[in-house]
Amino acid sequence: MGLSTLAALIAAFLGLPIIVLVIRAAMASSDAGFALAPAVLDALGLSLATTAVSLVLTVLLGTPLALLLARRRFRGSGLLEAVVDLPIVLPPSVAGLALLFVFGRRGLIGEPLGLMGVSIPFTTVAVVIAQSFVAAPFFIRSARAGIAAVDRDLEDAARADGASELQVVRRVTLPLAGSALAAGLVMAWARSLGEFGATIMFAGNLPGRTQTLPLVVYAEFQAGDLAASTGAAAILVLAALGVLVAVRTLHWGRALDVRRLA
Amino acid sequence: MLRPGIVLPALVALATVLLGGCAGAPDESEPPVITEAPPTAPPTLIGERVELVVFGAASLRDALAAAKSVYEMDHPTITLTVAADSSAALRTQIEQGAAADVFLSADSVNAQRLVEAGFADGEPVAFAQNALALVVPSSNPAGIQAPADLADPGVKIIAAGEDVPITLYAQEVVRKLAGLAGYPAGFAVAYGANVVSREDNVRAVLAKLELAEGDAGFVYVTDAVSSTQVQVVPLPAGTNVAATYAGVVVGDSTQPAEARQFLEWIAGPDGQAVLARFGFGPPP
Repeated sequence: MGLSTLAALIAAFLGLPIIVLVIRAAMASSDAGFALAPAVLDALGLSLATTAVSLVLTVLLGTPLALLLARRRFRGSGLLEAVVDLPIVLPPSVAGLALLFVFGRRGLIGEPLGLMGVSIPFTTVAVVIAQSFVAAPFFIRSARAGIAAVDRDLEDAARADGASELQVVRRVTLPLAGSALAAGLVMAWARSLGEFGATIMFAGNLPGRTQTLPLVVYAEFQAGDLAASTGAAAILVLAALGVLVAVRTLHWGRALDVRRLA
Repeated sequence: MLRPGIVLPALVALATVLLGGCAGAPDESEPPVITEAPPTAPPTLIGERVELVVFGAASLRDALAAAKSVYEMDHPTITLTVAADSSAALRTQIEQGAAADVFLSADSVNAQRLVEAGFADGEPVAFAQNALALVVPSSNPAGIQAPADLADPGVKIIAAGEDVPITLYAQEVVRKLAGLAGYPAGFAVAYGANVVSREDNVRAVLAKLELAEGDAGFVYVTDAVSSTQVQVVPLPAGTNVAATYAGVVVGDSTQPAEARQFLEWIAGPDGQAVLARFGFGPPP
């Protein structure tokens, strides 16, 4: 068997299921007059809102950490990097269980919060926490690499011109690492949009409140409504394709920037 | 080409706009606090809409969707939000802090366990009765003619998880079948060995059989009549079991009066009329 035959087989293995899914979704949606099931529409709105909040949290909390990891070496920095990377390789169901042990009603933080009348598990807030937990590492990794690649001489030049550390970061480091930050952001968004296991364990599966798009794919399939399940799945496929296009564009942009600098 | 310098602020701006739209969502999920009206006041006296979260057994999914529209029409200030899954999963979620008002279980065991664990307000109320049905896909790929065929080698049985009510009922039926004349000594063991999947809840068992991904499985009679893609294999007389559904008001409910009113409605004549449309019988 030639190399190209093998490549074609593997490409078919990877691509065929998605192509069939999209065709099935198109057939199902034309049967339904291109209308999405109410449960899918609710989940779409919830997914967009929760991933947006997760993204803002990820940027606000992840950027300082990425700066620290990219620019400083200190005792335990290797351990900190490992902690940040852990959610990427952790099975989501494990993440869900761990989040329950911390934020759950008998959890480390959840129990004192409960005494103050705040309950996190099985709320929309829990969806955002689950998404941020699994997605933030993607942003932090990419941002760290992007910031580490910024030429330190440029930062020093700005300092020599009297820029404060904050100005250096805002005017020099982050703009130069911009495409890596944006690529990380897009990857983090994709991961939070697709988050399933931690959400269903920690946030439950309540329509309109914690039932995001991936949960609708599962719940409607479990309940036997294949059309609704397929519709939600098709939206997620389109979003994933958009993410790939965006990441490629951003990397292409960086390549051009490098060539211009050279 | 997208310029990175533009993309990042644009994404952040977009996220901020969406954040504004979402920040209120968790608050909206909090039920309105009623201070003026006494808790026993009928909801019509209260200006605000009250959202009742009903956690219902998966087998009640279709019936609860119908009950929702009837109940909301009769009670204009109430909005019902229904989550359907296995009674065991829903009970676990309530114990872990899920904000439900009413729990409708497909058995009395899970409702009773919620009471015993201190997560219920009052005692369980029986509101429906169901029976079991052995179903196979319409195409009947394994050629199952009688329950005895379930022990044949290679039959793919779809079941639900260990704590799910349908599993406990099914085990009772299998025990009764094993005691019948003409059934082999190892029938129950052979049945167990043929289980290829343990689904989350009974609707998932039905869905897998509708897709013909399995050969046979036990569901409720109400599930069997709701589907055109499965056929029922009759059970010998005296081997079926009565599944009594019981509901309870969740102890953490912030609107126990409205929750109890709904529970009494579903156990009362109006609720029974809706349930009967889906094949449920009155409680014993």
